[in-house]
Amino acid sequence: MKFEWLFLTIAPCDAAEPWQLGFQDAATPMMQGIIDLHHDIFFFLILILVFVSRILVRALWHFHYKKNPIPQRIVHGTTIEILRTIFPSIIPMFIAIPSFALLYSMDEVVVDPAITIKAIGHQWYRTYEYSDYNSSDEQSLTFDSYTIPEDDLELGQSRLLEVDNRVVVPAKTHLRIIVTPADVPHSWAVPSLGVKCDAVPGRLNQISISVQREGVYYGQCSEICGTNHAFTPIVVEAVPSKDYGSRVFNQLIPQTTGEA
Amino acid sequence: MAETADKSQSLAEEYYVNDKQTTVVEKAVEVKEVENPKVAASEEPVAEKTVEETTPVAPAVAQESSEVTPPPAEESTEEQSSGNVEENSGNEDVAEETPEIKLETAPADFRFPTTNQTRHCFTRYIEYHRCVAAKGEGAPECDKFAKYYRSLCPGEWVDRWNEQRENGTFPGPL
Repeated sequence: MKFEWLFLTIAPCDAAEPWQLGFQDAATPMMQGIIDLHHDIFFFLILILVFVSRILVRALWHFHYKKNPIPQRIVHGTTIEILRTIFPSIIPMFIAIPSFALLYSMDEVVVDPAITIKAIGHQWYRTYEYSDYNSSDEQSLTFDSYTIPEDDLELGQSRLLEVDNRVVVPAKTHLRIIVTPADVPHSWAVPSLGVKCDAVPGRLNQISISVQREGVYYGQCSEICGTNHAFTPIVVEAVPSKDYGSRVFNQLIPQTTGEA
Repeated sequence: MAETADKSQSLAEEYYVNDKQTTVVEKAVEVKEVENPKVAASEEPVAEKTVEETTPVAPAVAQESSEVTPPPAEESTEEQSSGNVEENSGNEDVAEETPEIKLETAPADFRFPTTNQTRHCFTRYIEYHRCVAAKGEGAPECDKFAKYYRSLCPGEWVDRWNEQRENGTFPGPL
């Protein structure tokens, strides 16, 4: 069809656009805070850049050897020294205060989560476990998440980002993601959710997420883990809580009846 | 926000089911939902993508349980910021015995406030087996600890620890 491209561009997915430089759309308060902090710091960076560039250009212009053939040997001013000591120290304060506030609010662990998901990294796929609904050590909602090869991609799917089994989470719910690998270090990173957590062998790292809107969010392994490091994507799908319950119900019933 | 609260409350009343089971039985699992209109402290409405979030269409018919991906319907669900959260998906008409799934997991422990939760998992496992040793196998008080360590520990770790316990080489203080 002629206008097929029109619908692909408005697909409700959060993935990087081709040659994108900025942030992906935020889906958690954490990512929104990160974007806001970046904008605040960038304001100061622009101010500093303009100021320093102006002084540099003025120095090059006014002290050119034709304009100023005999340079001064001793140049010192107490007032300007005091000023350029005090003002540069004030600027990092204006950068540090929102930065520290965001950093410590991202460490929020006092909220009891409603769901725990275990993301287990492998070379070169991921295993996800939902173990809140177990009645024994054997029964577990576990599935592997492999990348879809480039040859098997369908129309509208992204290269290097799609997986065969997505992580499904309920929106507007506090989640706990426990990240650990089974072999070598990996990193579980989803830009739209504002999380990046290293998976260190023998260690369980925890991140807290509260997805605020339904959608599909893409991420990739962010710690070099071998040959297929670039082919280990992460896809998180946020659904309404009712749909999440239906999916868990559907996946639990076959196991329960199988055991019965 | 007032509209959201009212809408959330009406949705809560619409899907609230009085029939609840306090314990999770293996064959009596039911999807339940209790919505709280109070906004959690750490939840903030994201200003972007306002068009998606302000869709007023609520799911009129309870959806059948199917593995096909349903179109995402916007729902103003706001969870409590602490304690167990139970949710109802309105699947009463699915089967005669509708299983129940509570959205609850191991709570945050102030002994382990950092990102590293390795010893949290280890401690929950030890607590469970101490409870079993003290109160006997199948004690109802120990089910809580069992759910906690199963939520936190990867399956491979639990299998390895179970094997070590049987061999008597488990390094923890049981």
